[in-house]
Amino acid sequence: MAAPVASLALGVPDADPAATQRRSRTRGLLRTLEITVPGAILLVLLFFCFIWPLVYPVPSPTYGSVLDASLPLWSPGHIFGTTNVGYDNMARILYGGRTTFEVAAAVQVIGLVVGGLLGVVAGYAGGIVEAVLMRVLDIFIAFPSLVLILAIVDGLGQSELHVIWALSAFSIPAVARVARAGTLRLRDQPFVVAARLSSVKAWRIISGHIVPNLMPQLFTFSLLGTGIVIILESGLDFLGYGIPDPAPSWGGMIAYGQTVMSVALSPLVVPSLFLFGTVVCLNLVGDGLRNRWGVR
Amino acid sequence: MSASVTLGPPERIPGHSGTEPDGRPGGAYVRRLARSPALRLAGRRLLIAIPVLWGVTFLTFVVENALPGDAAQALLGANATPAEIRAESIKLHLNQPLLIRYWDWLWAALHGNLGNSLYSGQPVGPIIAQRLPVTIDLVVYALVVTLVISIPLAVLCARRPGGIIDRTIMALCMAGLSIAPIVLALLLLQVFSGYLHNLLPALASGTGNDPRDLTMPALTLALPLAAFYIRFLRADLIEQMQSEDYTVTALAKGLSRWRVLTRHALRNSFIGLLTVIGLNLATLIGVTVIAESIFGLAGMGNELLQAIQHRDVPLLEGIVLVFAGFVVLVNLATDLLYSVLDPRIRHGRSGS
Repeated sequence: MAAPVASLALGVPDADPAATQRRSRTRGLLRTLEITVPGAILLVLLFFCFIWPLVYPVPSPTYGSVLDASLPLWSPGHIFGTTNVGYDNMARILYGGRTTFEVAAAVQVIGLVVGGLLGVVAGYAGGIVEAVLMRVLDIFIAFPSLVLILAIVDGLGQSELHVIWALSAFSIPAVARVARAGTLRLRDQPFVVAARLSSVKAWRIISGHIVPNLMPQLFTFSLLGTGIVIILESGLDFLGYGIPDPAPSWGGMIAYGQTVMSVALSPLVVPSLFLFGTVVCLNLVGDGLRNRWGVR
Repeated sequence: MSASVTLGPPERIPGHSGTEPDGRPGGAYVRRLARSPALRLAGRRLLIAIPVLWGVTFLTFVVENALPGDAAQALLGANATPAEIRAESIKLHLNQPLLIRYWDWLWAALHGNLGNSLYSGQPVGPIIAQRLPVTIDLVVYALVVTLVISIPLAVLCARRPGGIIDRTIMALCMAGLSIAPIVLALLLLQVFSGYLHNLLPALASGTGNDPRDLTMPALTLALPLAAFYIRFLRADLIEQMQSEDYTVTALAKGLSRWRVLTRHALRNSFIGLLTVIGLNLATLIGVTVIAESIFGLAGMGNELLQAIQHRDVPLLEGIVLVFAGFVVLVNLATDLLYSVLDPRIRHGRSGS
């Protein structure tokens, strides 16, 4: 039923099989490139942020000479120029990227583990456990995320660790929601019912049947969420509530760029491009994997 | 979803029945609505909203009081002696235990008194009343812009999925989803106030009365949201066109694809879109803080940043309460509209 309906609705004529095959092959190649190209860019970026400073003498991001202050783009020794106190922008991009990736990865791992666990338990247990857990998570979801994060970071004091805690308050409920919905869908599937009927213990059903089946969905969801976390983190840095000051961050660099944008655009454009490029690549990989694995 | 759809004469197809008036008198409609599960649903959602709002205020209170520094210190500055700080904190009742202070605040708030700002000494209610209209204007403006952009573009995409128009719009959407609001705001600033010679003013006059002031902040909010809506609506439209029986029937009867898309599928997709709007609102309010801060709009977001800076707990609590209440109310409204628009929900199960 499904196939003829689809072709009727799409109005796709049945062309000769060779052309169809050729088209499907190029489409397959395109779909592979859709994942591998942004994935490769991300890997290169990760390499430069984490390994490059170990093998190459990158200047310190928080030390510089006033004699080198406010150098323009492509200056010798400082290809991205320097800030108004002579910090090397290239080093600040690399070390800022390091913080960005660390925070994003930590937040999503915490979100996946804690949120995933809460969601699966709530979905599988049902009843009062589910009601209480979901109401508590509703509090976090009804809350404007940036407002909550600002309040938490401000309350705990500024540091990378506290930024991670605050952003986790956003990722945990989001993952928990998806995990619960997925568990509810899986709970009445024949293979789970069969396991339950053959008196497999609840935690074994969860760890052996439900979690493995949820993994692709949760993984792509948190990959797409990573972009949002990076954007939120840059917003925090921009407002001055993120990574505390001399330490570099992309959001902080953009905030500095805004103050000099009437004089020079490069301090604004360079970190903006890195921020945008990273999130685009993450979103492309996430979208591509989602299409490939057929999860929604 | 498709299982409950029965193929029959067009009058019985969902999506038609709610929208073709067939001489239905208005009064009867209202009466039927009052008896419907929608109102019971509204009551239940309101009851659920109470613990949510309570939790939000309690969380803010605890978090804001976790740090050693307090409002007395922020008020008097770094040069104040410990005795001065102590006197000031007794004056502001900051020396009492956390739970007692929270209870005092909550009790007053339940009587409609949100207390006085610790920093300026003015009552919180009027401060919020002054700032709220700017933010509401901004959010409504942004939502209107979003819908005006996203609905036609999504229909264009769904008209020929995989075509050149579709691919271009999808690529733009990917860019829109990936751009951080701070980057977008500064880009708009550079384009409209820089390259286009101050077509729109870089710094708002602050009051938000001039729609030109609100345009750039609203675009900052609207463009990423539009990207999200276009993707959502496009996926939904394509699915409706491919797998729903009513569209296949309409196509089989000889209606043009365009007509089926705009008259039949789009109407049903609006229902899904409505829920998404409700869910996105919390994020949207978060972005208003950034937009207001960059464009210097004197709205709730800027007030919030100041309240955080001054550790002004009563003002912060008031703002947070208004934000959370706003989100809860809009979600309730979307739920209700949802059941008005979708007869299957109105007559069937009372939503879970």
